Amino acid sequence: MVIDKREKNNVVIFDIEGEIRRSDITDVTLHQLVKNELELGKKQILLNFEKVDFIDSFGVGEILASYISTLNLGGKLKLARISKKLFLIFQVTMLTKVLDIFDEEDLALRSFLKE
Amino acid sequence: MAERRLHKVLAAVAKVKPGEARLALLLFAYFFLITAPYNIIKSLRDASYLEDLGPNFLPFAYASVVVVGLAVSLHARLQARLSRRGLLMGTLAVSVVLDLVFWQVFHASSWKWWSLVYWMWANVLVVVLTTQFWILVNDLFNPREAKRLIGFFGSGGILGGVAGGILTGFAARRMDPHDLLLISALLLAAALAVVRSLFAGRPSAEAAGRRAAEPPPAAPAKVGFWDCARSVKGSRYLILIAAVVLVTGIVSTLIDWQSKNIIFVAGQANLTSFFGFLNSGLLAFAFLFQLVLTSRFIDRFGIRLGLMIYPAALLLLSVGIAAAPAVLWLAVGIKGSDKALSYSINQSARELLYIPVAPELKYRAKIFIDMFVNRFSKALGGLALLIVFSIAHVRLSNAAASPRLVTEASIASAAFIVVWIVLNILLGRAYVREVRLQLAKKWERPDVLVSERMDVETAKLIVDALESRSQSPTLFALHLYDLARRKKLTPEIKSLLVPPSATTGSPAERSASAINSLLEAEEAPWTPEAADPALSAEMDREIREILSLDSYQALMGGYAAGVLEDRSGGGETSRMELAKAIGLMDRGSPLVSRLDELLADASPAVFQFAAESAGRLRRREFVPALVRRLTDPQSRGDARAALEKYGDSVVGTLSDFLADREESPGIRGPVASLLAGIGTAEAAEALLDELARGPAGLEPDIVDALDRIRSRNSEVAFPEDAVRAGLARALAALGPVTAAADVLPVFRLLGLIYNHEDVFRAYQSLLKGTEDSVGYAVELLDQTLDPELKGGLLPRLESLARGGAAQEIP
Repeated sequence: MVIDKREKNNVVIFDIEGEIRRSDITDVTLHQLVKNELELGKKQILLNFEKVDFIDSFGVGEILASYISTLNLGGKLKLARISKKLFLIFQVTMLTKVLDIFDEEDLALRSFLKE
Repeated sequence: MAERRLHKVLAAVAKVKPGEARLALLLFAYFFLITAPYNIIKSLRDASYLEDLGPNFLPFAYASVVVVGLAVSLHARLQARLSRRGLLMGTLAVSVVLDLVFWQVFHASSWKWWSLVYWMWANVLVVVLTTQFWILVNDLFNPREAKRLIGFFGSGGILGGVAGGILTGFAARRMDPHDLLLISALLLAAALAVVRSLFAGRPSAEAAGRRAAEPPPAAPAKVGFWDCARSVKGSRYLILIAAVVLVTGIVSTLIDWQSKNIIFVAGQANLTSFFGFLNSGLLAFAFLFQLVLTSRFIDRFGIRLGLMIYPAALLLLSVGIAAAPAVLWLAVGIKGSDKALSYSINQSARELLYIPVAPELKYRAKIFIDMFVNRFSKALGGLALLIVFSIAHVRLSNAAASPRLVTEASIASAAFIVVWIVLNILLGRAYVREVRLQLAKKWERPDVLVSERMDVETAKLIVDALESRSQSPTLFALHLYDLARRKKLTPEIKSLLVPPSATTGSPAERSASAINSLLEAEEAPWTPEAADPALSAEMDREIREILSLDSYQALMGGYAAGVLEDRSGGGETSRMELAKAIGLMDRGSPLVSRLDELLADASPAVFQFAAESAGRLRRREFVPALVRRLTDPQSRGDARAALEKYGDSVVGTLSDFLADREESPGIRGPVASLLAGIGTAEAAEALLDELARGPAGLEPDIVDALDRIRSRNSEVAFPEDAVRAGLARALAALGPVTAAADVLPVFRLLGLIYNHEDVFRAYQSLLKGTEDSVGYAVELLDQTLDPELKGGLLPRLESLARGGAAQEIP
């Protein structure tokens, strides 16, 4: 898994590439990266899953932990371009009720602006 | 009035019911008046034959059944053409005339072979007259009535034989024995008058009001001898009866020859008089046996044992004669046993064997078996004797046979008796099968049939999914996942739930269509038939793991609190989604504890999903909330389904509710039904325990619940003592039985410890309520139940039959 960071309109965007799975843990996890940004005062975070091939429950755990951490610090974490499969999983687990999920990155960024 | 007085008199000696007295008395008289002349004719037949031709020529007399066969054939044709009344009266009239003809012949001719001709006529007479009598009895009575009254009718026949024998014994010493034929003719003429009176007194079927629910019996089609033979050949049961009759006849013939030979050797001065007294003494014994023991024996031990006593006694005596072949009292003893048992228990049991045979088949079979097989067996007996003679190198003359020959004949008869006993065992088993077949078809509980043949849970899930399609995409996805996890998301169901062309409609429907595309997507293989099962299973595992994540539980805990406090704004739908989602989690998950609040939700829709989840998670703390909802008409089905899924683990808690007298019947009744739904041995035991305590008004619910367990799970063994205690209580509480439904609880309990198919076939027949159906039902129960239960139940069931005393004669 490769995670690149960029910033747009005061929103930190993490572009994730590859597979997010338990067996492929990197030195720095997604959650750790998000926490680092939160510690730097960046409270608007967007996770872009456009190039993610696979995500397992460990990966979902990373997303949820990131979301909770952001929320606890009064920030906002949103998701964009998730796969159909992951959307279905989120629906079944009712995470669509909690998480902000967008089909396109622009739509997500615009939603940050509205808030 | 006269009928009532007559009933009072007859009821003292026989089990005659009101309305049956006149008919019973006429049949008694009819049988008396045909057996009395027969015994006169028979005594004269035996004495004339032995004096003119000697015992060694007896095999030819036995073989003369060919003539009887012709007479049987003629009788069968006449039976098809004439009414029952015409047949019976015509036969008696011809008998009177032939009696007078033989009286004239014996006086006018000294040709010794007239004895053989006379022998043949005597045989035809007894076969035709007695068969006609028993066919009439079969026409008039069902198995229970016949079983009750057969001792009385049979006694009439035996009494007639005794009277005829005594008359012969005295009269033959004072007059020419051949003049006894005039007395015989007079008695047959009296029988003619009785038959006329019997038919004159018959009400029409409509007036009698009996068997009103049944169509009148069809007029017998024209049948010949071969039709009769084919009827028997087509039924294994009738073949068995025929085989027993055949072997019985062979044995009886061998015994007859042995006894006659020993009597002839003893050198009696007046053989006609001796045979008269002998026949009368033997029949007196038979009469007492019949009157006192036959009905009681058959009532108590049934037909199967009734069939055994006759061959067993003859076997014992045959062994005695084989050892001591010239002892007169043994000869009289074996002949006496043959006659007494043949006319009493054996005759009664054999007639009862025909009861479960369909009427049309019965007439044909009886004609063939009683008139042909029975006679043919005598011929075979004669042939067996000739074989014994041949082995012993006997020369035919009018001399008596040697004791050694008698011993050899006794050994031969003992061998045949062993075969007879084996056949009786097979016949007894076949009888029960035949009675069973006469009863209604197997009874099945409709509720159990429905639950067995339908996957109700899946159907419900599909309906829920369809409803949720326009209501909530999340709920819809949850249902789809649920279906997929149960391997029920087949292509057919999927196309039903998510039509591929659903691109228009409400936002929720469009969302549903989007889900469809997800389902069709390569990476979402939720249709096992269409995708890699391993991948589908992997996705399922992922979802389960997500649900178990602490982060997930923490995040959704906050969401759930909002939903339950209605801060989410989703209202009822959100609570439904949450209730459904909780059911997918591990039973130890923190969020599961929130289900209690959803189980108390006033919305039936929310409760439905909460109850489903509770049924999956099976946590004990949800049980009281579920039980409380059993009184809610809108939610009781869901509550019940959920509790059933707890299985044995909830039986103890439910038993507490059932036993709690403070609890309302509105809860205790459904709890009994619920235990039935759980359907295990533990649930059955809990119900029986409560039945033993006397559940005050809940007996029908508990008995119904036990019956459901029996229907659904044949593996469950019900403790017999507990069921019998319940039966005793049910019988004690049973008032007058006016309808079959009154005894339904008793039958349901019987079905727990006896063959339930038999028990409920019997119940179905009781429901029909006709004389025959009730009779067959009681007969089957009589063969099935233990004596102590029979005594408490069967007399009450017999009162269920509608109508009067007897049916129309065809």
